[in-house]
Amino acid sequence: MSTRYTGARITRNEDPALLCGRGLFVDDIHLPRLAHAAVLRSPHAHARIVRIDPRRARAAPAVLAVLTHADLGALGGPLPRLIPHPALVHHKTQQALASTTVRYVGEAVALIVAESRYAAEDALDLVDVEYAPLPAAVRLEDAVAPSAPLVHEDAGTNVCARYTQRVGDVERAFAGAPRRFRDRLVMDRGTASPLEARGIVAAWDPRARLLEIWDSTQAPIPIRNGLAAMFGLPQTNVRVVAPDVGGGFGPKVMMFYPEEILVPLAAQRLGRPVKWIEDRREHFVATNQEREQIHDAEIALDETGRILGVRTVFLYDAGAYCPYGLIVPIVAGTTLPGPYRVPNYHCEFTAVFTNKTPVSPYRGAGRPHGVFVMERLLDRAAHDLGIDRAEIRRRNLIQPDEFPYDVGLIYQDNAPVQYDSGDYPRCLGRAAEMIGYADWRAQQETYRAAGRYLGLGVACYVEGTGIGPYEGCRVTVEPSGKVFAATGVGTQGQGHMTAFAQIVADHLGVTPRDVTVRTGDTAAFGWGTGTFASRAAVVAGTAVSLAAEAVREKARIVAATLLEARPDEIELADGKVFVRGVPSRALPLGEVAAAANPLRFAMPREWESPGLEATRYFAPPRGTFSNGVHACIVEIDPETGALSLHRYVIVHDCGRVLNPLIVEGQIHGGVAQGLGGAFWEKLVYDAQGQPLTTTFMDYLLPTAADLPSFEVGHEETPTPLNPLGVKGAGEAGVIPVGAAIAQAVEDALRPFRVHITEMPLSPSRVWELVAGARRSA
Amino acid sequence: MKLEGTNTLPASVDTVWKTINDPDALRSCTPGLKELKATGPDTYQATLQIGIAAVKGTYAGTLSITDKRAPTHYKITLEGTGGAGFMKGEGSVDLEAQGNGTLLKWTGDLQVGGLIAGVGQRMLGGVGKMLIGQFFKCLEERLGGSA
Amino acid sequence: MKPAPFEYHCPRTVDEGTALLAEYGDDAKVLAGGQSLVPLMNMRLARPANLIDINRIESLAYIRDDGRTLRIGALTRQRATERAPQVSERCPLLRDALRLVGHAQIRNRGTIGGSIAHADPAAELTAILVALDGEVTARGPKGTRVIAARDLFVSYLTTSLDPRELLTEVCFPALPAGAGWSWMEIARRHGDFALAGVGVVLAARGGTIATARIGLTGVGPTPVRPAEAERLLAGRSPSEDLWKGAAEAVRAAVTPDGDIHASAEYRTHVAGVLTQRALREAWERVREAA
Repeated sequence: MSTRYTGARITRNEDPALLCGRGLFVDDIHLPRLAHAAVLRSPHAHARIVRIDPRRARAAPAVLAVLTHADLGALGGPLPRLIPHPALVHHKTQQALASTTVRYVGEAVALIVAESRYAAEDALDLVDVEYAPLPAAVRLEDAVAPSAPLVHEDAGTNVCARYTQRVGDVERAFAGAPRRFRDRLVMDRGTASPLEARGIVAAWDPRARLLEIWDSTQAPIPIRNGLAAMFGLPQTNVRVVAPDVGGGFGPKVMMFYPEEILVPLAAQRLGRPVKWIEDRREHFVATNQEREQIHDAEIALDETGRILGVRTVFLYDAGAYCPYGLIVPIVAGTTLPGPYRVPNYHCEFTAVFTNKTPVSPYRGAGRPHGVFVMERLLDRAAHDLGIDRAEIRRRNLIQPDEFPYDVGLIYQDNAPVQYDSGDYPRCLGRAAEMIGYADWRAQQETYRAAGRYLGLGVACYVEGTGIGPYEGCRVTVEPSGKVFAATGVGTQGQGHMTAFAQIVADHLGVTPRDVTVRTGDTAAFGWGTGTFASRAAVVAGTAVSLAAEAVREKARIVAATLLEARPDEIELADGKVFVRGVPSRALPLGEVAAAANPLRFAMPREWESPGLEATRYFAPPRGTFSNGVHACIVEIDPETGALSLHRYVIVHDCGRVLNPLIVEGQIHGGVAQGLGGAFWEKLVYDAQGQPLTTTFMDYLLPTAADLPSFEVGHEETPTPLNPLGVKGAGEAGVIPVGAAIAQAVEDALRPFRVHITEMPLSPSRVWELVAGARRSA
Repeated sequence: MKLEGTNTLPASVDTVWKTINDPDALRSCTPGLKELKATGPDTYQATLQIGIAAVKGTYAGTLSITDKRAPTHYKITLEGTGGAGFMKGEGSVDLEAQGNGTLLKWTGDLQVGGLIAGVGQRMLGGVGKMLIGQFFKCLEERLGGSA
Repeated sequence: MKPAPFEYHCPRTVDEGTALLAEYGDDAKVLAGGQSLVPLMNMRLARPANLIDINRIESLAYIRDDGRTLRIGALTRQRATERAPQVSERCPLLRDALRLVGHAQIRNRGTIGGSIAHADPAAELTAILVALDGEVTARGPKGTRVIAARDLFVSYLTTSLDPRELLTEVCFPALPAGAGWSWMEIARRHGDFALAGVGVVLAARGGTIATARIGLTGVGPTPVRPAEAERLLAGRSPSEDLWKGAAEAVRAAVTPDGDIHASAEYRTHVAGVLTQRALREAWERVREAA
């Protein structure tokens, strides 16, 4: 296989259409007689539904249907539980519409379908609902107290799970340790804020008995299978398409959101296609959130700064329901040891229900928390032991000759956390060089002398990626010579149309522009699990490669028959198939494809099947581990707490890079989200569980005007776990940002002895910390 | 949100007590109160149209007076639901003679939920305080001529 | 987020506009730039039965400079004002503050009159109008009247304009010759509402401050004009101590609300810090102009 395109920095196949407004998003789907839905949502964080009367709404002009729980029949039960876990004692999921109790502001109570969204929203006011408000469990630490109001009365507790992972003997390690440091670390709630909120269009053909869905989801195949089961239809009678999706970041993987049941049901009942497009305000309450954890963490070291043990006990806010199980806290706990040797480790978490929007993974999925805790503990140790913070890290890094390195934990895929490859010291060294670590102290002094407070932060991480169970791909060459690759993962901006095309192009001797990649359509490819957990390039990418390789072999066999040569003499290049050394005897690839599908006469036995087409699957036995180091320079104005980001350096290793342009895009986006979570983005709920930040006026996303340019260094230690050598890179950018910023801010404010243990910060909070430190000085 | 304040009113404790229990006074001084219909002793059905500038919401609910200890103390609760959300204001009022007038001390808890809370957090506290201030200003004017 | 039903009207002249306002008054809202009103309507926080779109009243868009005052038609776009040479020349304080109003895209639609009439407690233009003792002209059923800035802003999002009045013109006095100015604000992001903002004008006379004007935003329901701080500065020689004293006086003059973005203590503190820095910069400009 040539590597002309794999690894090349080429522009993306998908961009011309997207940039010219010719993309196809769910809201671009227009069908004849399309009706529009709006959802009536609970205004209370916790309440009993005393009475619900839809009659006035049903009588309103242009209203076609109003569904309440009473209308759902067999579909009124709790929605499916994804990813059960033995420790998850109370695996609560919501109903498609609330029946007796609402448990978070935004929970769906009724669905209105009308001729237009305007009319549907008019009718929302006409549904008479009487609520009896109940006390709400809001703050995480309050919700876990025995006296807290119960989110689920029948559970008898707000604790849905307790889980501990252990390595070695942490009690003994701490007992004998010369140095111990402890901190309470808090990260607050955030939301992914994709450019496109959720949306779904459903159409039911009663004659063909076909249910067709367009859904802004990251996992169309599980949705298809789940809907088929729920609606009693054969899987082949349900088609789910995730068209262009304007960002996913995790919260668009669910099975199901209520609307994913309600809209198809309404389409079936009405006999008309129905569209529901989530508006931004709804998104802030009705789409899963994440990020709230409180860690009580300790580190034990010897006098040289070697880690003897780490212990963390943390609270995890699950929200009102926990459909997605315990993935986030498990990932947090297994990411925490990072690139360091941690011989003894204890990680214990309590997952807690609160009367807030349910929680499921958001880019990073707990890794940012693990890294924040570990890096803050190391910084604390470095400071108190008088060891340079890069040096203390160097002393603890796993060395390049120690792979495969068994951390001793079980990852989210139920396989051991075993680092397969990497060069951690090299990444740290490169980041330090890029940021100018060596003469930072001298630079800093110069700034301080001029009355300016600048700081440098550096943070390391290891990221589990590329987990199973599997993905697949079918590659087909058509008689035109154009190549088509279909896979089950969805695409929300990751550049699959290009990266996968590059892989196919190299196998088949065509250009990436000749390869059309189809993702997210269950009718095009019906086996797969979805795009999440930084796995698409690894798992689907490898399947793409295996399928393309198989097509190449088939092309050689067919061409051998046609050119009267041996298959091992056949080459593919520049869109042609020829005998090696005899380029004049070439056939266009398309002709070979046409010839492979004869209309008459017998087909040669060695062809085995018609056409140039192959389907392959890849099922990795375990994940592969990427890593990286971020370094940044910030400036703080102690009088106003204002933060300026001067430089941001990312060194990352995701194994073999398929397309540096795409990987950089992923990293830039992740870092932007990480910086948002460090200084701007915070979901705030009041004491009654009312969300106070439901517009972008108050939930602050940093813009290009607020962020610096990013400097990216690529390192590549290919993984032995797949033939491409690739590791995942989807979430990398966001993971260590909070840790790096916390260290940088602390470094900037060292004269004031401020200690950062929370994310996000804000000018007001930074000023408070400075003023507080001044007072206690 | 928790709010509190004190106002000096130019009338005797008894006069002030009568006024703050008088549905007429409550109807004319409560900002945005469009309708107040007695449904029982010290309980009223209320319709409020309240907001600031273009942002207005209609709330239907109740006003009730409880924990009466004439003539110096009561609790007043005004709550309502509407399209823009719901609100609940609970106030505790204490009267104290001060010279020729009355010192009125109040503490309150104002809860606002729904759309308004999610969008207007920037101004809710200030507007809440302002509306309560309007209430007392109106009372003051009402009592000004009857000291 | 679709608005509730409304009637749409599109007057072509000021008279048509005021006639519509006279008829629909309480149940109408004027649509100018729409950057504040349209989101409120789409979220159904505002449900005016009548929307009076004044964007076709071309006679309301102008900038007239008579040497002492900038008369700006209510419909003049913020971006046009920001870039107008007369504004740069007569009132650079206005230009500098406009650059921080939202983003350029917002300023392409937002209008000067709209911003003033909307009276957001964290707006820049309202503070400048108050600091400079500007005024507005409004036309209603009772005729035309002029309202001084100090009488215009009543509370959050509330002016003394009658619902039947149409704001037609905003007047900003020109800065005195040789004066220094500065606008400083703190916002969480580029273009956000100010957590606190200060505009300062220092008129000089031979090395000392003749008069000082200060206007603050984001520190209360309406813009604040700290009289005590201005008094402290008048007639004095500039010094770091003087700026510090003025900053303290400003802190004593403001009672901001706290919210989830910044506490009241922070805003009070920062109002002082910004005042200090703005005074320093304004005096630098006095020196440069000399």
